[in-house]
Amino acid sequence: MTGAIVLGRDLTGDQVLVVDAVVVGTGAGGSIALRELARAGLDVVALEEGPYLTPRDFNQREDEMIPRLFQDAGGRATEDLGIRVLQGRGVGGSTIHNTNLCKRTPDAILELWARKYGVAGASAADLQAAFETIERDLSVSEIPAALRNANNDVLRAGCEALGWRGAQLHHNRNGCQQSGFCELGCAYDAKQNALKVVLPQALEAGARVYADVEAVRIVHDGARVVGVHAVARDADGGPRGAVNVWAKVVVLAASAVGSAALARRSGLPDPNQQLGRGLRMHPGAAVAGRFDRDIRGWRGIPQSFECTEHLSHEEGSDERVWIVPAFAHPVGSAATLPGFGAAHMAAMRAYPRLAVMTAVVHDETRGEVDVDGEGNPIVRYVMSERDRGQLAKGLVACARLLLAAGALEVTIPAIPRVRVTRASELDGLDTSALRPHSVPLTAVHPMGTLRMGEDPKISVVRSTGEHHQLRGLFVADGSLFPTSIGVPPQISIYAFAQHLAPHIIERAR
Amino acid sequence: MRVSSGSRGETQKPERRVSRRRLFELTAAAALTLGGLAAAVRTHGYAVPVGRRLVATSPWQFIVLQHAARRIAAPDREGAAAIPTVPTADDLDVAGFVDGWLVRMQPGVRRDFGRFLAYVEHVAPLREGLVTRFSRLAPPEQDRVLAATEASSSDLLRAGFDGLKSLCMMGYYRDARAWSLVGYDGPLVGRPPSGWSGG
Ligand SMILES: Cc1cc2nc3c(=O)[nH]c(=O)nc-3n(C[C@H](O)[C@H](O)[C@H](O)COP(=O)(O)OP(=O)(O)OC[C@H]3O[C@@H](n4cnc5c(N)ncnc54)[C@H](O)[C@@H]3O)c2cc1C
Ligand code: SF4
Repeated sequence: MTGAIVLGRDLTGDQVLVVDAVVVGTGAGGSIALRELARAGLDVVALEEGPYLTPRDFNQREDEMIPRLFQDAGGRATEDLGIRVLQGRGVGGSTIHNTNLCKRTPDAILELWARKYGVAGASAADLQAAFETIERDLSVSEIPAALRNANNDVLRAGCEALGWRGAQLHHNRNGCQQSGFCELGCAYDAKQNALKVVLPQALEAGARVYADVEAVRIVHDGARVVGVHAVARDADGGPRGAVNVWAKVVVLAASAVGSAALARRSGLPDPNQQLGRGLRMHPGAAVAGRFDRDIRGWRGIPQSFECTEHLSHEEGSDERVWIVPAFAHPVGSAATLPGFGAAHMAAMRAYPRLAVMTAVVHDETRGEVDVDGEGNPIVRYVMSERDRGQLAKGLVACARLLLAAGALEVTIPAIPRVRVTRASELDGLDTSALRPHSVPLTAVHPMGTLRMGEDPKISVVRSTGEHHQLRGLFVADGSLFPTSIGVPPQISIYAFAQHLAPHIIERAR
Repeated sequence: MRVSSGSRGETQKPERRVSRRRLFELTAAAALTLGGLAAAVRTHGYAVPVGRRLVATSPWQFIVLQHAARRIAAPDREGAAAIPTVPTADDLDVAGFVDGWLVRMQPGVRRDFGRFLAYVEHVAPLREGLVTRFSRLAPPEQDRVLAATEASSSDLLRAGFDGLKSLCMMGYYRDARAWSLVGYDGPLVGRPPSGWSGG
């Protein structure tokens, strides 16, 4: 049996589908759940609210790709507007435009989840097979040092000069042309992601994917799920017809924001008020250094080197900052550089000579995903004092790295902006302005809103991924994680979906 | 069987919202607190260039947007002197781009954006001691008003400025004529990645 991708815009009239299982979302988690269910011989469909795009569509233009690839046309933000939240929308989810970094869930995090959050059967040893499967399927390998671009080399040089811990990263690319446009989708089909690898395998095994079809509500009887009500949309986003799917298993994989919002507006049983709580996001901010030579950081693999000098995954640590290069194309850079007008343009002229690092916080803050009166997601996240401290520490560390690597001048884009030319100026720096609403913050790793664990008082689903109260409702995306994981999450999400798949299959049979 | 509660119909859902909407709602609320003047926006005396067809903004909103875009994406003098062809925000039709961008937002978002523009036009100058509306101020005074909004003690007004600036920068730096100013060579699709040897 061979499956198919069905476009919502091509549907005529209302649709009723009766299947064994329905997966909501086709990103890292959803693609794996779909593939495994189809490979088990089950009749399974996926609903994806975004469009089906292929490498031919990825034209490397920010103004055209951002609104097509990202939720809310790239304008999703926390309720207080302090943090921009970038998430994907389309067949393949956020794996289409992510930067392909691959890391396993740290052992210390898995141990914490077992010890404190009652997660069973998810030790490093339990997950070993799933990690190996995913890493093989996605061709994960170390990024060769020869492919390190000049921006990443600045970070390496900074680490070397300061004697800080740094290392080459791993990725899931094959045939990469080093174009540098990863965050706008890969025109060269080099990303070994959900779109290129996993979903074709799912289709080959008989799964069907409905693109431009938004799940509106999970249908349940208070004890078990019975399906999903969805709406197909035309090219302009207008409703085209209902898609009602009846199934004994529903898998939520619409991301930590999308799944929690869908769960909330579906009125799922939530006796302990856990649903949507516990959001973590790895918020981060960038620091730019001006060099006397061309860096041209927009070319080449965007991230290939990391600095982990200030990163520990031990609970309660005061070292919770991950530093990686982060170079944006002109629109993104212009929006982030402080100021406006003539001075801003003068600063933009140094664009080819800038190197940019980002400090990402392995956060403790507990945010929340709620819905507004129309059922749309609201992301609430007010950064804790401790996390603010980590952010400030990370930004200062980025500045030190840039200066150590030879930057003539470093700018932290706060209001008021911080400009330094010597490391000694950072010693007594007043860091009170290094906080949300002053520094432009972005979060690209939402997780933790439908947490797993055996104790229903502190979790939403069991360690098998199945909802504590609703039989047949599973979660298989970043929502599962009880805490921040402090590493890029895609491999963990793919692997947890793989690890939990046997439970989902068993229930769907 | 129970179809769980929620405000959505089974087959219908309101048009998609963009979360920046909240930004403008809140910003407008801040503007109102600052003297209740945003409600008294004057909408007369704003002449949109002949032949301009607006798709999302009203004439007065477009004019304010145009003035703000000219300052936000103002050419640097040094560069303008060195390269006479530095395009202006008008050359690249930044305000027109933003008008077109807003059309895909739902009406509530456009309304809230309009309220923020009302704040910039009528309230922000007053806070700087200027009794003239923003669109009639001289460029240095417009810069003062925008700088004060950018550095406002209100997180929400800062976020409002950030939204406006982001849209204007998108409108300016999306254009190949702006790329050459900053040494950016643009997309590679359709041409070989020459000049890049990989490390
Ligand atoms: C710019 C950027 C760079 C990143 N770089 C990396 C990286 O280098 N390494 C890494 O590990 N991670 C990276 N990430 C994060 C990583 O891509 C995500 O954490 C991961 O893809 C999340 O997987 P998911 O399955 O939870 O959700 P997603 O992959 O986001 O998929 C969710 C899907 O559900 C769909 N959906 C939502 N609501 C509905 C609904 N109601 N009905 C139907 N469909 C719905 C969405 O459209 C989306 O396609 C990056 C993210 C971004 C934004
Ligand atoms: S850098 Fe490589 S993976 Fe990224 S878009 Fe270019 S070719 Fe694709």
